Amino acid sequence: MKITVKLVGAFCVGRFKKNVQEYPSGIKVVEVIDHLQLPENVLGIILINGRHAGEQDILEDGDTLSLLPLLDGG
Amino acid sequence: MKFLTTDPSAEPSGVLYQRCTIDLRTGRQQMEELPCRNLEDVLGGFGRSFQDLAERKIETAYCDENPLIVNTGLLTGSSAMTGMRTYFSGYSPIKGSKVGLPAAMWSTGSGKFGAKFKWTGLDELIFENRSEQPVYVVIKETETGPSVELKPAGHLIGLSTHDKIMALQKDYPDAHFAAIGQAGENWQNNYMGAIALSTENQLKEQEDKCRFAGRGGMGSLMGYKNILALVAQSNDKLKPLTEAVKKVNVNVVKGGGSARIQPISRGGGGGTWAAYDVLQEFHAVPVNNFRPQGNALPEKLFRENVEKEYDIKSQACYRCGITCHNNVSEKNADGSKGEFLAKFDYEPLNLLSTNVGVHDAGQAARLIQLGDNYGMDAISLGVTISYALSYNERHPQATILNGATFGDYEKIRELIIQAGEGALPEIGQGSMRLSQSLNETSYAYHVKGLEIAAYQPETNPGYAWAIAGGHMSMGTYGLLTREGKSDLDSWVKGITEDKLHIVGFDMIGLCKFFDIAKGIGTQMVVDCLKSEFGLDVSIDNLRFAVRRAFLRGLALELRQGYTKAEFCLPAEVFENPNQNIKLPNITSPEFIEKLEKRVWEIFEPELEGLLNA
Repeated sequence: MKITVKLVGAFCVGRFKKNVQEYPSGIKVVEVIDHLQLPENVLGIILINGRHAGEQDILEDGDTLSLLPLLDGG
Repeated sequence: MKFLTTDPSAEPSGVLYQRCTIDLRTGRQQMEELPCRNLEDVLGGFGRSFQDLAERKIETAYCDENPLIVNTGLLTGSSAMTGMRTYFSGYSPIKGSKVGLPAAMWSTGSGKFGAKFKWTGLDELIFENRSEQPVYVVIKETETGPSVELKPAGHLIGLSTHDKIMALQKDYPDAHFAAIGQAGENWQNNYMGAIALSTENQLKEQEDKCRFAGRGGMGSLMGYKNILALVAQSNDKLKPLTEAVKKVNVNVVKGGGSARIQPISRGGGGGTWAAYDVLQEFHAVPVNNFRPQGNALPEKLFRENVEKEYDIKSQACYRCGITCHNNVSEKNADGSKGEFLAKFDYEPLNLLSTNVGVHDAGQAARLIQLGDNYGMDAISLGVTISYALSYNERHPQATILNGATFGDYEKIRELIIQAGEGALPEIGQGSMRLSQSLNETSYAYHVKGLEIAAYQPETNPGYAWAIAGGHMSMGTYGLLTREGKSDLDSWVKGITEDKLHIVGFDMIGLCKFFDIAKGIGTQMVVDCLKSEFGLDVSIDNLRFAVRRAFLRGLALELRQGYTKAEFCLPAEVFENPNQNIKLPNITSPEFIEKLEKRVWEIFEPELEGLLNA
């Protein structure tokens, strides 16, 4: 199935900003994170189709998965 | 500090701290060793100073009875990473209730001044009254203990924060410094004066890389007292690193707490600047006085776009492995580093660029640098200017000040210069007073008289209960955006239980990046206290002390005349909801009404008797 993956901020470095990826059906968010080798300690926000989601959520064909770094302080 | 007990929760009086009280009018000083009253006293910072402020009834910030309290935290100057904080407390010139009473306030910053101050042997310095002549204060380590001396400061008058520090460094090459800029000197017309704290990078490289205790106008209070700078002269006194503290420090650097702050080259998020990218995903980056437009304008200041034209270097405070400073310099034609411009932290960057309609990185850096050099709080300065720009946009035929509008860099620059020089009280006295004088208060983005940080109020109703600045004293700014919480229960719990613990860092001497999500009630802090001082303090007792200190701040606000109606967000949030922000609406009048009711039901019973304890 096709998943549009959006990476934000530091996650884009050496990867991509937005890409349509092919994944097996039933794949969980955490498996995409592993596949992309994103550092877990920097991962802050997961959005599926613009809504907050969790690592164990299952993706569906046509979903847009956004992965954002942590937001804290300033 | 002196420790006669290993259990400061049960026996706080077994911990003694060294305090010097100096009467600036007479020069008389009293050096004393005092027993702590409770664990908040032991931890230090505002946990102690607010108890002292509570003993005074102050009706105006600029009066002789209002003290300026300079102190440190228990772990300032220790081996624990980030232990460099200095705290400045007093009744604030800028933050005040509608009946006109000033609020108690603290402000804090890193740099090496705090550690040097602590290593003189002094834990707290209280300035009473005011000096007739401008002075600077030398706090020195001697064989018989700490000494404090007032010196004439005529040669420092009119210098910027950085130039004052550079001038003093010539006379005190082994010291560190805290200095006000021209804004603090012009305290009558500028209530947002900040205090600059010197860093090792600044002193070595002669570049204006200060850290700032910015919030609440403590630099203006210092200016009122006619103190232009503080000098802390002592030998470095770091203990050998124990295995326990070493383990904690490794966890601070490599654990989740600071990961997002580390440089991208080390696998981190790239500092607080990275908030731009994250918030833009929700169209929640403040634009043109907190009115995001749902477009790509904020992306112009994404790091990836700035680094094409400017040199960006990550640096750190003394002995800190977090490396959170993103120093922006000009890039020479050959690609090498040119003139240093400014440090890009999220708050000053946004509030002096995108939120005033400036989208050019070089211009943004110059505005930040200007505000820093004059010694003004970037948040209050940026937000007050954005209010004025918004007023002018709404009244094109009857503009105020120099008629500046969003994006007019030259005129905005002019406003900063005039405010810094004390020639523009309309800006210098903050957005609450300016908006009241113009009778248009709904789009003045302050809460309780203190300008809010660069997080949209639509995403953070917790601002209302922050006791000393929006995101520094109530950690709810990410509850909706980061955690996705939009239900009432989560917000009640966030405000009344979890997120208030951010203020623990403003007691103990550590920077928030030590472990911003969890606060100081952690095994890491317990281990540091045991290893550094032999103290047995439980996580629960740390959390109780932080909660009491926070609630004491809330009680002090109410005593200074705040009504519950003043614990509110700017009215524009409700009157003209911003449809561009792509997050659930948690600021409807109905939601806020229920939130207020439940939060006060929890807080109110706990406030009873706190100021007399």
